[in-house]
Amino acid sequence: MKSAWNKFYSWLDERVQLQNLIQFMGKKYVPVHSHSIWYYFGGVSLFLFIIQVVTGILLLLYYKSGEEFAFESIHYIMSKVNFGWLIRSIHSWTANLFILTAMIHMFSVFFEKAYRKPREMTWITGMLMFFLALGFGFSGYLLPWNELAFFATKVGTDIAGVIPIIGKPLMIFLRGSEEVNGATLSRFFGFHVAVLPGIFTVVLGIHLVLVQRQGMSEPLGLEANSKSGLKTMPFFPNFLLRDLLFWLVVLNLLAILAVFFPWELGKKADPFASAPAGIKPEWYFLFMFQTLKYIPARLLVIDGEVFGILLFSFAGLLWMLVPFWDKKSNRGEQNRFINYIGLFAVLYIIFFTIIGWLL
Amino acid sequence: MKRVMLFLLSFLLPVLSNGFSYAGDKCLTCHKGLSDKPSSLYSHDIHSSKGISCAGCHGGNQNSDDMEQAMSKEAGFIGVPKGDDISKVCANCHANLDKMKELGSTLPTNQWQLLQTSVHGKSSLAGSEHIVQCITCHSVHNIVSVKNPASPVYPLNAVKTCTKCHADPAYMRTYNPSIPVDQFEKYKTSVHGMRNSKGDPKTAECASCHGGHDIRSANDVKSSVYAVNIPSTCSHCHSNAEYMKEYNIPTDQFEKFSKSVHGITLFQKRDVAAPACNDCHGNHGATPPGVESISKVCGTCHALNAELFSSSPHKKVFDEKKLPECETCHSNHEIIAATEKLLGATPGAVCSRCHSENQNPKGYVIAKAMRHLTDSLESSENYAGALVTDAEQKGMEISEAKFKLRDIHQARLQTRTMVHSFNNEKFNEAAVKGLSTASFVAGEAQHAIDEYYFRRWGLGIATLIISIVGIALYLTIRKIEIKQQNKNNGIKEN
Repeated sequence: MKSAWNKFYSWLDERVQLQNLIQFMGKKYVPVHSHSIWYYFGGVSLFLFIIQVVTGILLLLYYKSGEEFAFESIHYIMSKVNFGWLIRSIHSWTANLFILTAMIHMFSVFFEKAYRKPREMTWITGMLMFFLALGFGFSGYLLPWNELAFFATKVGTDIAGVIPIIGKPLMIFLRGSEEVNGATLSRFFGFHVAVLPGIFTVVLGIHLVLVQRQGMSEPLGLEANSKSGLKTMPFFPNFLLRDLLFWLVVLNLLAILAVFFPWELGKKADPFASAPAGIKPEWYFLFMFQTLKYIPARLLVIDGEVFGILLFSFAGLLWMLVPFWDKKSNRGEQNRFINYIGLFAVLYIIFFTIIGWLL
Repeated sequence: MKRVMLFLLSFLLPVLSNGFSYAGDKCLTCHKGLSDKPSSLYSHDIHSSKGISCAGCHGGNQNSDDMEQAMSKEAGFIGVPKGDDISKVCANCHANLDKMKELGSTLPTNQWQLLQTSVHGKSSLAGSEHIVQCITCHSVHNIVSVKNPASPVYPLNAVKTCTKCHADPAYMRTYNPSIPVDQFEKYKTSVHGMRNSKGDPKTAECASCHGGHDIRSANDVKSSVYAVNIPSTCSHCHSNAEYMKEYNIPTDQFEKFSKSVHGITLFQKRDVAAPACNDCHGNHGATPPGVESISKVCGTCHALNAELFSSSPHKKVFDEKKLPECETCHSNHEIIAATEKLLGATPGAVCSRCHSENQNPKGYVIAKAMRHLTDSLESSENYAGALVTDAEQKGMEISEAKFKLRDIHQARLQTRTMVHSFNNEKFNEAAVKGLSTASFVAGEAQHAIDEYYFRRWGLGIATLIISIVGIALYLTIRKIEIKQQNKNNGIKEN
């Protein structure tokens, strides 16, 4: 058995020079310290993205876009297709876990200040992927064409519509018409399975190349003590195998969620029905949605909702550009102010998500 | 002293009674001299006998000989009241309990209030008054007690009084184009109408069912003829054994009806589609349905059952034996919900009343077979329903099977209808359809339950495999790292 494997390995190595790649990976080291656990969340996010691609392609074999067919086709997948329930549930659960792990990854990078020079582009591409992931979530949520998704999309695109100047054209672009209807569904389907995956793959490619080229960032304190000998482990096989172990745990978690909490389909959307009470967006938009509720209708000369949207947009932009204004971290100095901002953001998101969920 | 008192009283009474005193009524004296109609009629009016003068309604000073002074505004003269003022004049006393007591009357004092909220209290075409005033029904100047046969609202006259407007299509059209105007014609053909025309004041006339002053539209839930209220309205008389004694008919219809499937639907479920008394007996033309017409009456709602029965072999036999068709098996007022228990050869079943193993054995065998099938269908439905519930509680997607459960129930209802054909083939067809649907639903539900366990077992096995792979991976990592450590130590040693 072993000799057969060696034979196959030699055959492959002769053709694609595998040994060079292994040597490259073997030379790459990952720092080992008390915060090393956070390194794994990037890999887990990648694993969940791969699951999304695979389950998404499988769903595409049966999913039919269109007002008349979307709901029915998902119902068919859930009830008639062999393991259709599993694939759909895993796709839906993975979508949520993907956003969660991407968020954890983002905050861990933020708190470790791993975005500092020379990794500004890695941070920017990561942030772009996070926004694309939110786009995946928003567009994918409508595809089953159920009641909750229909009204959540209506509310979501309505919010986009209040942005000054570009709001109305943006809303019509998203909806494909003045209202949420079959045209919106077709458009969201196109975004979800073609436009967003295309862009995401390119950005992901750049992100991974940058990570491979630059290696893992070391926390600021450890970096300073590096002369005393920083503990490391080889990326291959040590870190990669640990990554795989983590992926297996996540895979098992997904299976448990899919079996015990299968993703519900709900009622088919009826554009003529009134919105059900307590309509809410997906959990990752909830903190923003809840904040908009608390902002007064009018703030001096500006509309309250517009103010909220501009505030979140500005905060998002500042967050994305942190490598360029956090000069202290770039100089290798500790910057507690960044920690306070991060902590505030985490607490704010958790608090308003819980409030939004409960109310 | 006694003489002085009498002298004083003869002056004071007319003043104290404020126009109620008829004695020495100068209005009547003058008007009688003119021989006008109101004054000649008024001497027979009940108000006249109570000592109420013309001024009691028209105002003015009845003690004055001077016409101008008697009919002056200062004396409160209002002339001939118009519109709602007419009824208001009546209400001055009839809505005042103290005045009515003073006049020795025990009449209720809420007529004016009731009239205003009644269907007749709506605005007339002119828009300034109610459609009906007191005098519209009670007449004027010759008003007599309702118990007086001369009264236009006396039971024998009430129908004609109502008919003045309600049989006039041109008049009724102006208020409600869709309201029928043939009530009187129908009434004449009813048992009530025939007895009334023969002079029986005890039989129902318009006011007996619709009320007097508080008449409301039949669609109004407060109306005495609103579908849910009709049985109790009829029962006012028909459940009164003393009142109905001379007519020699039962008085337990309401009691029986209340227990019937129709009564339960009407009273408890408040479903106005359920039949009340008038739906079988007619309303204005109410008569007991004859033996021949029962299936037609029931057939107005239970059309298919009636049609199947009419073309069944039972029709001829029932006709020959003069058996009331539906009533023979289902009873009349106390119709219980038609379940499978009515069918078959068991003691409670109606078939066994005529069919036994020895007498009419063919029907006995068929009834037994039909019952067997309906019982199977019932248990199949229950079994399938239980499986669907179980699958649903396990969180499985079972909406299609759940929807098909209705088809099984529909098939059961269909078999109940098909019984009326008394045709085994037709009955079997409906029953088999239901049984096959039940079998399909049970299969789907069982499949969903199996799938539920399959998923859990699958998860268990997957978890086991993942755990084994995970442990193997962990051991591999340890092995590699120990090897690396040894190698590093070796290098250091060297």
